[in-house]
Amino acid sequence: MAGGQCPSAILKYGDEEMKKKRRSGFIIACTAPAIILFIIFMIVPTIDVFRMSLYKWGGYTAEKTFVGLENFQKLAKNPKFFQAFQNSVLLIVIVTLVTFALALIFAAILSREKIKGQNFFRVVFYIPNILSVVVISAIFSAIYDPNQGLLNSFLQLFRGGKDPILWLGSPKIVIYSVVITMVWQAIGYYMVMYMASMANVPESLYESASLEGAGRIKQFFSITLPLVWTNIRTTLTFFIISTINMSFTIVKAMTSGGPDGASNVFLSYMYQEAYTNSSYGYGMAIGVTVFIFSFALAGILNAVTKRDEIEF
Amino acid sequence: MKLKRVLCVLMAAVMVAGTAACGGGGDDKSGTAGDNNTTEDDKAGEDSTGEDNAEEPSGDGEDGADDTQTEEPADDGGSADGQVLKVAAVETAYGADMWNEICEAFEASHDGLTVELTIDKKLEDIITQQMKSGEYPDVILRAVGAESGLTETFVKDNNLVEMTDVLAMTVPGESTTVGDKILPGFVENSITNPYGDGKTYLMPMFYGPCGLFYNQGLFTEKGWTVPETWDQMWELGEKAKAEGIALFTYPTAGYFDAFLYALMHEAMGNDKFQEALRYGEGVWDTPEAQQVFDIIEKLASYTEPTTPANANDNDFQKNQQLILDNKALFMPNGNWVIGEMAEAPRAEGFEWGFTALPAVTEGGERASYSFFEQIWMPAGAENQDLGKEFIAYLYSDEAASIFAKSGAIQPIQGMTDKLDGDNKLYYSIYDTGAVAVMDAFATTDPVEGITVRSTFLDPVNSLVTGDKTKDDWVNQIKADSEQLRAALKE
Repeated sequence: MAGGQCPSAILKYGDEEMKKKRRSGFIIACTAPAIILFIIFMIVPTIDVFRMSLYKWGGYTAEKTFVGLENFQKLAKNPKFFQAFQNSVLLIVIVTLVTFALALIFAAILSREKIKGQNFFRVVFYIPNILSVVVISAIFSAIYDPNQGLLNSFLQLFRGGKDPILWLGSPKIVIYSVVITMVWQAIGYYMVMYMASMANVPESLYESASLEGAGRIKQFFSITLPLVWTNIRTTLTFFIISTINMSFTIVKAMTSGGPDGASNVFLSYMYQEAYTNSSYGYGMAIGVTVFIFSFALAGILNAVTKRDEIEF
Repeated sequence: MKLKRVLCVLMAAVMVAGTAACGGGGDDKSGTAGDNNTTEDDKAGEDSTGEDNAEEPSGDGEDGADDTQTEEPADDGGSADGQVLKVAAVETAYGADMWNEICEAFEASHDGLTVELTIDKKLEDIITQQMKSGEYPDVILRAVGAESGLTETFVKDNNLVEMTDVLAMTVPGESTTVGDKILPGFVENSITNPYGDGKTYLMPMFYGPCGLFYNQGLFTEKGWTVPETWDQMWELGEKAKAEGIALFTYPTAGYFDAFLYALMHEAMGNDKFQEALRYGEGVWDTPEAQQVFDIIEKLASYTEPTTPANANDNDFQKNQQLILDNKALFMPNGNWVIGEMAEAPRAEGFEWGFTALPAVTEGGERASYSFFEQIWMPAGAENQDLGKEFIAYLYSDEAASIFAKSGAIQPIQGMTDKLDGDNKLYYSIYDTGAVAVMDAFATTDPVEGITVRSTFLDPVNSLVTGDKTKDDWVNQIKADSEQLRAALKE
């Protein structure tokens, strides 16, 4: 970054006699580029999203009509938006819970237990995270295929030759198919994050605990969990943000929001309205709602999970 | 001391200037990247201060955000010194070569003219950001009905250049006018004249009949005849079911647009059809409209049950494969499907067959929707006269033969006589008595939360899976039609 080179360049001239005032002048001058970039690329667009949500605008013309909060009123009456909202909330809750639990368990096992091929498992779990969403969608499309798919072929052993289950074709099931895909995709990432912080927990704590007679499960809940709590809190916020974002790409690539809009989530619905229904302003109103919702949710989670920090 | 202070201020200034330049998108390399992140208001001013010159050769697809400043209007004399015409076309199954050839041929007929061609399968991804910052291509080829709704957005926003005068223009190098050369019906429909005021805004380009595709080989083998009425269709459905073959499948619910228009035209007759396209009050309650819904409901019950699972942009070819594998008999499609499935494995003796929709009553009308792409000019186009001349040129015999080499057929007089092989089969469908239907649902101001696709087409998936009933669907159509009617363009 350009901003980083400045102080070292200035320092060459020696700064012993430099007065405080000038120092702060420097700091301002040197951080200015970063601040300006931040304002141009982060603050202004965000404000613009809020501003655009008050307009009726197709997206291409110069002509924008100010409509106040009308977009939000329409949104509140739109069953399709609520369907997308429901789906998103469902994804956030289920994907977070399942991924969180599994990632934590796997991390604990891989970092505390002695298992053969630890590194192998670590890599295997992490691989989905490296794959692009399009590849993941292709993999899961093949798994969910009603006729030749892995899942139906396997289930046939138990169900016999009944009608195949339409994993991506039934409006009732499709969102759960998305859940499975997302959990599979996310586990490795969070597992590695938890493992990293578990590695920092001093071994001596576990030793003394086992001397006191604490079993593995007791150790996990009384030592591991409290000591990685800060890390867990951080990941909870990640969960919200990444579920909202990833669900869009996965839905877009795997189901196109279908069948009949049953797998639409926040952002896919926003995309549909803003870019395919010539309702850019309305789309931005959805964006604002998502923005506020995710901020609020992250805030609430943060407040609820607040504990006194435990140091080791 | 002083020197030091001056130096520092200077350095900071350089850095600020540097970042501003990066963000500004003034230079052609970082231009598009910058555009993605800022809003049109901040950008519009800075872009026009760019130092690009007009002669910059265009890249292959990405043409950056060059400001091509052209001042002179085009003259008809065939010289256009230093002018740059920006053409943006979507790359479809016909490929990009024909467009390169066309642009070269047009350049050759004008001294000093450069045609800057942007052609891409995801055209919108390239041109949208530029357009948001006020840089429009002069001519755009993109059909209505695309997922992005690019063309619809321009129509809804009254953001198009009127094309009626192009119809009166003489085709360059020929003696007929453009209007006379285009087949009847293609510039008198609700797509090309979206506002219903008799003025043409979108020009028809490549067309193709849509109808039902099937395996002719299978019909020959089983001794079945292709049904001519829907009643015969249901009979065939039972016969096929006994053999474990489904009567029907569809690639995605979106493919029902052509199907629905043709079926509506058959069942409702032209007047009621036109009324329905304008979401007329009570039109969906008429017995004719109910007949349309009944047929689709029944068809849903005959549809291959796994179809909805693959009815998305990712997997739709699996549904098309059902026809090739003799697992389903008919699917609604257009002639591009042949190229799309060219490499796919198929049942022995497979041979594409194509028919118009069966008639609703014995001896009644059989319709085939004629899908066509459109070429148009955004109101923001800089070289409007030159752009119109270019469009007129596209209807010349010279251009038509370049397009036809790639299989792209324009609705031009005498074109079907020149066809051979498979193409003749598809384009001669109208010679065998099928009625060509070309209209589409009327343009409205954008209605938030309602699209033709989500109201009329997507629910077909739910009909097949049984998650919605016909009544649910019809009620949704009626409710949404009311809102759409209120937003109709006058």
